[in-house]
Amino acid sequence: MNLLSELQAAQTRRHFLSNGSHLLGGAALASLLGNTFQQSALASGSIETHFPAKAKRVIYLHMVGGPSQMDLFDYKPEMAKWYDKDLPESIRQGQRLTTMTSGQARFPIAPSKWSFSQKGKCGMWMNDELLPHLAKSADDICWMRSLHTEAINHEPAITAMQTGNQITGRPCLGSWASYGLGSMNENLPTFVVLVATPSNREQEQAISARLWSSGFLPGEHAGVSFRSKGDPILYINNPPGVPSNIRKRTLDSINAMNAITHEELGDPETLTRIRQYEMAFRMQASVPELTDINSEPEHVFKLYGEEARKPGSFANTTLMARRLAERGVRFIQVYHNNWDHHSNVGGRMPDQCRDVDQPCHALITDLKERGMFDDTLIIWGGEFGRTIYSQGGLSTTNYGRDHHPRCFTMWMAGGGAKGGSIYGETDDFSYNIVKDPLHIRDFHATILNLLGFDHQRFSVKHQGLDTKLTGVEPAKVVPNLIA
Amino acid sequence: MNKFLSHIFAITFVGLLSAPADVEFNRDIKPILADACFHCHGPDPGSRKAGLRLDTEEGLFEGDPPPIDKSDLNASEILYRLTTDDKDDVMPPPENHRQLEPSEVALIQQWVKEGASWEPHWAFNVPKKPVPPLTDRTDWARNPLDQFVLKLLEDEELSPAKEADAPTLVRRLSLDLTGLPPSPETVEAFAANPTEDAYQALIDTMLESSSYGEHRARYWLDAARYGDTHGLHFDNYREMWPYRDWVVEAFNRNQPFDEFTMEQLAGDLLENPTREQLVATGFQRCNITTNEGGTIVEENLANYASDRVQTVGWVFMGLTTNCAQCHDHKFDPITAKDYYAMAAFFRNTTQGGLDGNIKDGRGPAITVPTAEDAPRWDALPDEISEVKKLQKERRQLAKEDYNQWALEVTNDALEADLPKEGMVLHRPLDPAPAISNSKAIDLGKEGDFESDQAFTASLWVNPSNVKQNVSVLARMDVNAKHRGWDIYQSGKRLSAHLVHEWPNTAIKVTTRNNVLEADTWKHVTLTWDGSGKVEGVKLTVDGKEQKLRINNKSLQPNQTIRTETPLVLGRRSTGASFQGKAQDLRLYTRVLSATETDSLANLGPILKTLAIPTEKRTKDQQKQLFNHYLSTVDTVYRGHVKTLEKLESERDGIASRSPITHIQKEKDGPAMGNILMRGQYDQVGEEVAADTPEALGALPEDAPRNRLGLAQWLISPENPLTARVTVNRFWQELFGQGLVITAEDFGIMGAAPSHPELLDWLAVSFVESGWDVKAFYKMLVSSATYRQSARTTPMKLQKDPHNALLSRGPRFRMDAEMVRDYALAASGTLSSKMGGPSTRPYQPEGVWDVVGLPGGDTRNYVQDKGENLYRRTLYNFWKRMAPPPNLEAFNAPSREVCTVRRERTNTPLQALVTLNDPQFVEAARRLAEDAIAKTSNDEEALEHVAKRVLLRSLRTPEQAILKSSLGELIAFYQGHPEEAKALITVGDTPASAAIPPEKLAAWTMLANQVFNLDETLNK
Repeated sequence: MNLLSELQAAQTRRHFLSNGSHLLGGAALASLLGNTFQQSALASGSIETHFPAKAKRVIYLHMVGGPSQMDLFDYKPEMAKWYDKDLPESIRQGQRLTTMTSGQARFPIAPSKWSFSQKGKCGMWMNDELLPHLAKSADDICWMRSLHTEAINHEPAITAMQTGNQITGRPCLGSWASYGLGSMNENLPTFVVLVATPSNREQEQAISARLWSSGFLPGEHAGVSFRSKGDPILYINNPPGVPSNIRKRTLDSINAMNAITHEELGDPETLTRIRQYEMAFRMQASVPELTDINSEPEHVFKLYGEEARKPGSFANTTLMARRLAERGVRFIQVYHNNWDHHSNVGGRMPDQCRDVDQPCHALITDLKERGMFDDTLIIWGGEFGRTIYSQGGLSTTNYGRDHHPRCFTMWMAGGGAKGGSIYGETDDFSYNIVKDPLHIRDFHATILNLLGFDHQRFSVKHQGLDTKLTGVEPAKVVPNLIA
Repeated sequence: MNKFLSHIFAITFVGLLSAPADVEFNRDIKPILADACFHCHGPDPGSRKAGLRLDTEEGLFEGDPPPIDKSDLNASEILYRLTTDDKDDVMPPPENHRQLEPSEVALIQQWVKEGASWEPHWAFNVPKKPVPPLTDRTDWARNPLDQFVLKLLEDEELSPAKEADAPTLVRRLSLDLTGLPPSPETVEAFAANPTEDAYQALIDTMLESSSYGEHRARYWLDAARYGDTHGLHFDNYREMWPYRDWVVEAFNRNQPFDEFTMEQLAGDLLENPTREQLVATGFQRCNITTNEGGTIVEENLANYASDRVQTVGWVFMGLTTNCAQCHDHKFDPITAKDYYAMAAFFRNTTQGGLDGNIKDGRGPAITVPTAEDAPRWDALPDEISEVKKLQKERRQLAKEDYNQWALEVTNDALEADLPKEGMVLHRPLDPAPAISNSKAIDLGKEGDFESDQAFTASLWVNPSNVKQNVSVLARMDVNAKHRGWDIYQSGKRLSAHLVHEWPNTAIKVTTRNNVLEADTWKHVTLTWDGSGKVEGVKLTVDGKEQKLRINNKSLQPNQTIRTETPLVLGRRSTGASFQGKAQDLRLYTRVLSATETDSLANLGPILKTLAIPTEKRTKDQQKQLFNHYLSTVDTVYRGHVKTLEKLESERDGIASRSPITHIQKEKDGPAMGNILMRGQYDQVGEEVAADTPEALGALPEDAPRNRLGLAQWLISPENPLTARVTVNRFWQELFGQGLVITAEDFGIMGAAPSHPELLDWLAVSFVESGWDVKAFYKMLVSSATYRQSARTTPMKLQKDPHNALLSRGPRFRMDAEMVRDYALAASGTLSSKMGGPSTRPYQPEGVWDVVGLPGGDTRNYVQDKGENLYRRTLYNFWKRMAPPPNLEAFNAPSREVCTVRRERTNTPLQALVTLNDPQFVEAARRLAEDAIAKTSNDEEALEHVAKRVLLRSLRTPEQAILKSSLGELIAFYQGHPEEAKALITVGDTPASAAIPPEKLAAWTMLANQVFNLDETLNK
């Protein structure tokens, strides 16, 4: 039932109950609703895009911890000859290190233990052993091997990647998207966060709700976390013993009472509350269907893998992301943890890849089949890269890698990203960028461009300044990443 | 230009644009200049173009040509620049994002032509107390505050709302002064006698209630960014709730706000600071900290200091000083140098850059004993050093007695001097038996200690290898989840276990150092103090207490470790045996002191020494013998040892039951800092001394150049900001928004005050009152402005949509804590217990562990039981990475950074909380039980619910709606008894057995509806 009919129903009831005493007339009601809707348009904040958006929605798969680029995408054949030799000072160039390896006596090079081969027409070099599924999507993907950032530790780096600033408190990308583009549905949040549980949990990193906070944007643009355990949205389920129809009746009665309050005091916020209680009910009604992942046909589970049946797995989360996208959620932020491989790259990387390889390919394929690929932007990557030199013990089959902000690989697909293209090059050591550096600011500017915004003009006033996702340093859109 | 002419100009040039009758620089012109021009022509020389600045009087009126030519206004450069078609000359330049609206250009034109009168920024002038304006209406104002409000309303042709009815007013008053709804009886009493005297008496009662301080503290703790975790990375527990309790207490005893400021900023620098004054400095230690591996200490310290500058800027100065971290402020007169001079005040601390993931954050921190413990805690250090002095003296005096003793002593006498008290088992095992798989030695029923029984086990061991991991001495039943205790050889290290059920409820510790060697005798003791805590285990080797690694500390007090299995030397109930020898096993039912274990360990060596002729003994051997004499024979010295042990254990006992709290502590040397280029910690620039921003009036010459000087400067009568900013925030608490809406920013880009004169009047009155906080609130709530009904009209909505003009009473959705406290109070379930460790009420599963790290101590949320589920929300445990979700939904901040005004949204997620959170469902059920128990029919019960929650009777249509709803609910639950039972079992308190479940369920839902009414959720 929509608000208007509900209010009218409440009004009718009150007319009946109060024996026809003077109550809100139809015209007054309509005008009040008009008011409310005007306010709501302001509140939900969708502003005009600066140019037509290529991507209507985003699925951002963040790999928490920082995947090792040279073990997955940044092929460095030269390194085989450098096994256990020291990283030349000419390459390191006094680059600052984390205090975890700054005390190391030497920096022995650890070549990737995996074989690589070229995939797709684009010829992208990829790990040949761990990413068989993703390889099939090579030509749908816009590969970026030259991302770089300033931050060298997780907390600031992930914050910078999500909000454009290392210090917490700024709005994240999802909040900006919500603020700029607004909602596409009537019963689900605009910006949803899903935290997947990795199958290997040796070295997880902290992630916190601050990563999906709205910063200085209005609170409604904060991400709403969907959970795989317990209530999918906090407090979404009625208490035991309260079926949906009973809840509906009590809400009718609450709203009827609130309508009287409004009549009494004339506070427009009361009408907003009536709408929000309606919205809460619609959310409650829609979530069971949304989360009933077993209603997906068999071939979908074939596509994403059997793991997709397991709540909280990355496969399951990716499938849920697709279901949310289908139902009009604007921005879906997924986190997958345990990529912080200070040691045991050899042991952990296969687990990590097994988690994400098939689902990523499945998501691309699935969205294509549903005709949603072209206007859904998928983003994959971590908060920084990893060092070519080994942290701790080194053997030909195992090694650790420290944080490395100077170059790392990410990829995008769909939503106007240029599929089958490879951007950026690093040196033989995957240590420095030698061609087309891509600062995360430029990356953010490019994403905003795909969403229809000029990052220079997409700002809000905060403490007197026009504050932007891309901050105050120069940033640029990279046309080569755009289809 | 005369007024007449300017009028003509206005008409001619401005035409039909509706310009205000008179243009005021601060109100009308400066905001335009600030927004469109200051970025390139403002305070920051780094981005200043053409050397021109428009933010100062000099910049506007001097220069060649001056932007505004006072001698020939019409020829002013600014007029040309604003209107010319020349693309090179026009301002703002065409490529600028900010362009002027025609109406803005017109305003500037009008202002210039009217004489271009300039004013300095209002907030940087010391406020003077204005005379309250005269108003047309003279029967409304109750105090001068109202005259200012009424004047503005009259100017806008609005009239104030009539006074709110008694229930509404008492409810509002109670919510504003105590954060809780009033009792229905309080409302009725006032409604029956609504006199001014009764109203004033009501105010006084509420100001005196301890809930007042709790409510005020809640706002302050947002500003202070108080939390119960460190905030970053592991986000482990931080103990500093004594600071939270100090804030509550400070408000309750009505500490003057200047003192309140002084103690929090510089309590440690006052003369002979009290413990409370030290606790107060926690204000500066509430910032988030990290222990992330790899982070750089210098960078962390820079971040901590910048957070403190930001907080002081927002809370006391109302300035976004943080903007000057990377560059001179774009709008306000704060340079980057000023910023780092401020930061220098806060960098001069003994705090380290890493918090260690431990509760004291590696200090500085102090122990805060209870009032009962405090006298002893304070006396103990002196008493301890006094005994130590006596001990030292006795060492000298005892020499003579010792010499005599050394001549006469025999081996047997030495044996006899060893501790006997509490010894329950002694096996000399002489000669030492060899222990192996077949030769573990069963010692029978001894050693069956309970976990609250203190004991000591002492023996000599000689392992045949240091590769084995086996029990040396054990009373442990392997088949009963290893219940019992043992002393255990972990290779070269020594361990001990105390186990209820391994591994979930057990203690295990291991020496940090290698202490065992193959084929070498070592004396070892295990002592256990019966406390049930891991700190109660000690291991000594050769009389030396060992540093321990804690492997497991999950044993809880009162869990038994008793077992049927016998005490065995060399093995547990089953399993591998110790390989080696052992001797002289002793068990005591008490903790042996260090000197006692020492004497046990020393017996062997001493016997050896005694065998050496006196003159041939080495110095060490003489010393050893003398020490042995003192600790086992000399009565006086032993008396001192006993006293010392008693005092130290008393001290340790108080420390272990007292909380600690983080404080600020000044480092030696002057407070200096460095400018960090663009805010980067590793780009160190010029050194600066601690100082206040130059443009706001620097520190007096003789002021201390530390936080004490800063605090004095903030509360000095010449400071233009502190009082204004403070009264504005107090105002905001009651009226929903400040007179200056941007409560943290009184600078040039901040909002202009809606009632500038009122703000100054309030600020000066507040200072004149001696910064009397309670008196200030009393004045606010006594005003006619405050007492207005919240009823609005279409006209008011149009002219005063956000009630900035105060054309009606304050009405807005309550803050998160109030929403929860309200439900607890109205249902009669709220606990009145104050203070103490933070509470953990109902919380959905998985909120903490999603963000928690393995090994973190705030990863698993263990919900409290009993009273702590119903405490005031102020006391909720605040994990900064995952704040209580039911509060977060209502815009509670994460407390990671300072918050001086919360957002106030209206969202569906809020509805879900109050509808479905067990806390609210249980409160509804408790209210339903109360209503049914205390009334005899449905009408009365409905009235009871309304009186408890809405504090008023239901109107006829409301009654009809609720009755109809109740009828449906009863019908449903009568048909679905299982559903009824399920609903009423929500929450930890059992449902009343006296009420049929169907009835209780229906009434629970009804009460739940009333708790969800807009009227309930709004103040």
